Amino acid sequence: METIMTSNTETIPGFTINQSLGIVTGSTVRAKHIGKDILAGLKNIVGGELKAYTELLMEARTEALGRMMMDASQRGANAVVNVRFATSSVAGGAAELFAYGTGVVVTQG
Amino acid sequence: MSHKGDLLTTGEIGELIGLVAIAVTVFLFIAFPTLAFIYSMIFARFHQDKYQKQLLTREKLVMQQLGKDNLSTLSKPVPERKINQTGLVMSNITVSPSWWQLFLGSIRSIFGGNIVSFDKVLAYGRNEVMQRLREQAIGDGWEEVVNVRVETSMVMNKVRGGKQNKMGTLEFLAYGTGIR
Repeated sequence: METIMTSNTETIPGFTINQSLGIVTGSTVRAKHIGKDILAGLKNIVGGELKAYTELLMEARTEALGRMMMDASQRGANAVVNVRFATSSVAGGAAELFAYGTGVVVTQG
Repeated sequence: MSHKGDLLTTGEIGELIGLVAIAVTVFLFIAFPTLAFIYSMIFARFHQDKYQKQLLTREKLVMQQLGKDNLSTLSKPVPERKINQTGLVMSNITVSPSWWQLFLGSIRSIFGGNIVSFDKVLAYGRNEVMQRLREQAIGDGWEEVVNVRVETSMVMNKVRGGKQNKMGTLEFLAYGTGIR
């Protein structure tokens, strides 16, 4: 299985879309670690970047994207176009990361 | 009293524990926040300026390396060329204003107007996230990134007792399609 191409443009430049397989989604909900939360709280005194949160969110987003690609490959798509991200805060300091796009079958040319 | 000869009676021990508890509480809820606030007032500026300077040098370095900006918000590369592979590139950063900046902001929001201290933090976050996208694209071997979008969201909210997002934590996400 070759890797699934992803793009946040409507078409994949240089490729032709033959078939649309509908929306593919992937999501994950992450809560912060209490130790990291306390460290971030201390870092908050001087402001600037909170590295613990940055890493946590990127990790979660990569996972959501991975799930989206898995969904796409299960449907038989070889590319996902128009990928969008959504982030929402859930109560209790958790965050939901959601990635969605359209699974398509493309050929070069 | 049978314990008359002892160093401390039970009542005195109780009193001592009580005093220690009060001292700890005073330290945690009054002394520590005050010290942290003063620290924030004096040192936050230097801390943030350091990262701002680093960002500027990194931006210059990439500009020298490529000769042009490798990010664009257009959906196709201009001028058009043959593309063999595409892929999603993304980067993020979480920033928050310092306690001192939050305090200044809360005072400013009484009268309204431009909150300069927040401006600085948000501008830094947005520039940094775009710079990271540039570096990420170079690292992954993409020649150019098209259709770049930058999103902002409030994260790690504490929705409790009506005090939403007390820390003012913001996440910036930049993503685009890498082409080669």
